[in-house]
Amino acid sequence: MTLKYLIQKEFIQIRRNAFLPRLIVAFPIVIMCVLPWVMNMEVKNVKVTVVDNDRSTLSQQLVHSVEASNYFIFKGQQPTYQAALQEVEHSRTDVVMVIPQDYSRDVTLGREPQVLIAANAVNGTKGSMGASYLTQIVTAHTRPEVTAMQSRVSTLFLYNKHLNFKLFMIPALFAIVMMLMTGFLPTLNIVGEKEAGTIEQINVTPVSKWSFILAKLIPYWIIAVFVITVCLVLAWAVYGITSVGPVWLIYVLALALALFWSSFGLIISNYSDTMQQAIFVMWFFVVMMLLLSGLFTPSRSMPSWAYATTYVNPMSYFIDAVRTVFVRGGGLSSVWHQLLALLGIGTVMGTWAVLSYKKNS
Amino acid sequence: MNAIEVNHVSKSYGKVTALDDVSFTVGKGEVFGLIGPDGAGKTSMYRILCTLLLPQSGTATVDGCDVVKQMADIRRRVGYMPGKFSLYQDLTVEENLRFFATLFGTTLEEGYDSIKAIYSQIERFKDRKAGALSGGMKQKLALSCALVHQPSVLFLDEPTTGVDPVSRKEFWDMLEGLQERDITIVASTPYLDEVRRCGRVAFLDHGQVRGIGTPVEILERFADVFNPPGIDHVQMAEAKDENVIEVEHLVKAFGSFHAVDDISFTVKRGEIFGFLGANGAGKTTAMHMLTGLNQPTGGTGRVAGYDIRTEHEQIKKHIGYMSQRFSLYEDLTVEENIRLFGGIYGMSDADISRKTDELLERLQFNEHKQDLVASLPLGWKQKLAFSVSIFHEPDIVFLDEPTGGVDPATRRQFWELIYDAAGRGITVFVTTHYMDEAEYCDRISIMVDGKIKAMGTPEELKQKFNQPDMDHVFTHLARQATRSSD
Amino acid sequence: MKQFISFVIKEAKHILRDKRTMLILFGMPLVLMLLFGFAITNDVKNVRTVVVTSSMDHLTQQAVDRLAASEYFTMTQVVGTPREAELLIRGQKADMAIVFGPDFAAKRSGVQFIVDGADPNMAQMWTSYATAVITNADGGAVNSKMLYNPQLKSAYNFVPAIMGMLLMLVCAMMTSISIVREKEKGTMEVLLVSPVKPLMIIVAKAIPYLVLAFAILIIILLMARFVLGVPLAGSLMWILVISTIYILLALSLGLLISNVAQTQLVALLLSAMVLLMPIVMLSGMLFPVESMPAILQWVSAVIPPRYYIEAMRKLMIMGVGVDQVIRELGILLLMTVLLLALALTTFKKRLE
Repeated sequence: MTLKYLIQKEFIQIRRNAFLPRLIVAFPIVIMCVLPWVMNMEVKNVKVTVVDNDRSTLSQQLVHSVEASNYFIFKGQQPTYQAALQEVEHSRTDVVMVIPQDYSRDVTLGREPQVLIAANAVNGTKGSMGASYLTQIVTAHTRPEVTAMQSRVSTLFLYNKHLNFKLFMIPALFAIVMMLMTGFLPTLNIVGEKEAGTIEQINVTPVSKWSFILAKLIPYWIIAVFVITVCLVLAWAVYGITSVGPVWLIYVLALALALFWSSFGLIISNYSDTMQQAIFVMWFFVVMMLLLSGLFTPSRSMPSWAYATTYVNPMSYFIDAVRTVFVRGGGLSSVWHQLLALLGIGTVMGTWAVLSYKKNS
Repeated sequence: MNAIEVNHVSKSYGKVTALDDVSFTVGKGEVFGLIGPDGAGKTSMYRILCTLLLPQSGTATVDGCDVVKQMADIRRRVGYMPGKFSLYQDLTVEENLRFFATLFGTTLEEGYDSIKAIYSQIERFKDRKAGALSGGMKQKLALSCALVHQPSVLFLDEPTTGVDPVSRKEFWDMLEGLQERDITIVASTPYLDEVRRCGRVAFLDHGQVRGIGTPVEILERFADVFNPPGIDHVQMAEAKDENVIEVEHLVKAFGSFHAVDDISFTVKRGEIFGFLGANGAGKTTAMHMLTGLNQPTGGTGRVAGYDIRTEHEQIKKHIGYMSQRFSLYEDLTVEENIRLFGGIYGMSDADISRKTDELLERLQFNEHKQDLVASLPLGWKQKLAFSVSIFHEPDIVFLDEPTGGVDPATRRQFWELIYDAAGRGITVFVTTHYMDEAEYCDRISIMVDGKIKAMGTPEELKQKFNQPDMDHVFTHLARQATRSSD
Repeated sequence: MKQFISFVIKEAKHILRDKRTMLILFGMPLVLMLLFGFAITNDVKNVRTVVVTSSMDHLTQQAVDRLAASEYFTMTQVVGTPREAELLIRGQKADMAIVFGPDFAAKRSGVQFIVDGADPNMAQMWTSYATAVITNADGGAVNSKMLYNPQLKSAYNFVPAIMGMLLMLVCAMMTSISIVREKEKGTMEVLLVSPVKPLMIIVAKAIPYLVLAFAILIIILLMARFVLGVPLAGSLMWILVISTIYILLALSLGLLISNVAQTQLVALLLSAMVLLMPIVMLSGMLFPVESMPAILQWVSAVIPPRYYIEAMRKLMIMGVGVDQVIRELGILLLMTVLLLALALTTFKKRLE
């Protein structure tokens, strides 16, 4: 049972490190307490400026309904389109609505007036969402029959009735915390032993590759369980959000992800000579996997070549699965294929980690 | 005028006192030795003189300049080679040298003559990266870098640790050459032959100056530290006629370069086998093949009855290993280290705790059981590392320069442990640069340029080459080297 | 001067010889630009839609055909009950379901969208798109115009952010690590004792990273212009001037970190945890600052890249004159002066 002694050693070293224990406790807490507020891509506070060239009762009604909308912050009227554009350049307004001269006449005659909506689209989402809401208001004003049609359409938002962005982001945060805790720490650990030269001493002992690597991995799995527990408790305590699906499934998914990340970290450190190198390579992969995981933007919106990468991206599987369990309340039957994929990738990486560690060169 | 004056200097880090009311003077053009055990305060002294640290009390001047107020003046005048002088690993040998030359306002060409004796040994590798050199080679390059300019005062903090005896002699010859040009030199060293070449020495211990005088005076006054009575070399109860190491035509090549070039030898059970050679002769590479860290390119070898090519994992169960770089896990306590390595070799918990107590008792280490290894002095770490490497009673223990950087008394205690182990039937395979230690071995081999040039008992070798002691035997053989590399 | 030059050359060799780090340093901007330019989008596309109806009459079929014809929706299947549709959504086989009432054709009952609300933004977009298609309201009365970014490319928003992040990474993180490495390996002692002025050592170490930062800046600008088609509407000179100030600011931060840290590991963690994380999260590069709670907005007010990214968005994308970014420019200048002064005063010429 050499494994027992090696794992003991890892824990003593982690405990005795001046920095690591604090990091392991503080990091998930900070992430869970701060990031849900930050990672809010909800579009609100869209600022609107109106140019009314018609100055009729009807056009003023339209201006009032924009002013009355909760969605917009009304920034007043400008005399000309040019003046309004100046406001955009000064970042004092986001969307400009220009009501044409003959607005009132066109609407009464049943013709389509040409209302111009110009949105600052540097931030594409904000620009287009602002424009589309404003369009709805205008359409309702100009074409009452469409309003009638719209009233027949109702929407039921499943799983997230209040469209709470935090509910969407919190399970994704689990993935980020896991990635940083179980990915970066093992990387630093092995390169640290290389730089200190202690790895040579281990190499002349009869310790098998498997026990050595396992001894490096297991502590991080235990840390993963701890970290996930902290995250789940905080989600409940701070935001009142709990998992709809089975909690054990979240733990299983997290462990599968930890298997991948810790193995991946070890592979990188097996091939690196210095800490700086290891961290840079790791960081590169982390950023890529994160961006392509569907955490921030829906993976289905990606072009097909980018979507293809999600088949080998464990972060993508994890985020998909954990959102299904946590938010949608899916069970094993909903996420079994993601779980299998995660375990499969993890096993391959684990084997690679063992094989790439050379006791004898 | 004295080149260096130190008056009542004290320095402490928190509770630890590094220097306690130290005073001495060094005359211009003198070679002054600063000697003492690890942790005596030598490095703090150097740093204060180089204006890297501020003294808490007392004053010091270097070349007439105050170390507190005239920082820039001093830094223009002194040269400093710190104990852990490290080169830029990713620059080539020549690039390192040129960089340091420019740094000190000179060029490699101007300084070439003053470093020729040592640099010429590594010059043929000038395009190789410093990181690819062996330990001793790096030290030689570091020496060249430190000496390429000619400051008025030169500080050398244990410059020759890990350097072979021949190169050490050449290095000190170079220092004498500098002295003739009126350069003041302050150097520290654990080697007695080097101490003897100083003009005067100060013996520093626990931050205090115990004595200042000529080397002979000091070595006599503190004979218990510097000149412990030799250990009686008892021939172990007839080394058994059973080979535990058998090597035939072993070769290790890196590209076209043969680090180990066709060596053959045997080691008998219970023997203390000294494996000697200059820096870069191939000792460490050979040892790595025997311990299963490296695959040989050619030849065969058996260690403890197992083939070094195919059964290296079996070998690892039957050997212990202690390297110059590694001692133990610094962030674990003494007890935790012992437990870890006991456990790795598959010993039971009960065995481990029983043997731990025995071991600590024998080393008189009981009160330090819970101390972090990082907090122990170097000599203790070495003793402990050795004890841990034979904790599982291996057939053979490999020691790679186990006693670098400690004083003679500590080394003597270390060798008592080695004899003790040999007495219990453990074969000891040891490399060293201390020739007095070579005399302690049952049998020695001397490697030159990747080949074994001589093998036999110390007596046999002295007779064969007609030399008075091992130091001369070694110098005689190592000077025949045509290549210098790792 | 000769010493200074040889110092800079030495430092450049360190950087050039570490092939793997170099590869990452230059690969990173390329990959990030490509990903943000082409892969990361919020477009409504390929929304897997299930139709729920008990009787597929003519009008229903027409509505479904209209949905299918739009590029936004992919009709996956037709089921009989909302319950079945919900199971499909839970199993991640569909994103939304459209329930047509049994007498939809008679215009008496309506349409219900059952939407996977897990991602609130997308859920709202899907409904508003689907409503528009089904009600046949193409917004004829409205003439929409997307200023500065007519094709709504997310790259426009992200290019300045990538610049802010990468320049900080190269200058602050790499400079601090390279200085601390000399401390850790003991070469710093020799350098300090040499006749070279301590300040020169630091300046010489910073110069290659400065050059590297400019190289990366130029790569990003070229890629933005010629690969992603970002207009670079504003004055190129001012873009470069403000970037230079920002690079100096990042170098000062790197120097400050190296003054505090004693080991590479600490420098690395400090740069990553204290510098990089807040920058990515709070500077507005990914998440809009205005959606954050007030307290986090205050925190983000002291994060330098926020102003850099804002200034770059205005200059590069909106193409406004430099008079519109005076505020950002002033804040960046002030921060640079403060940080540089702080870094220089805390720089230790001795070991303690």
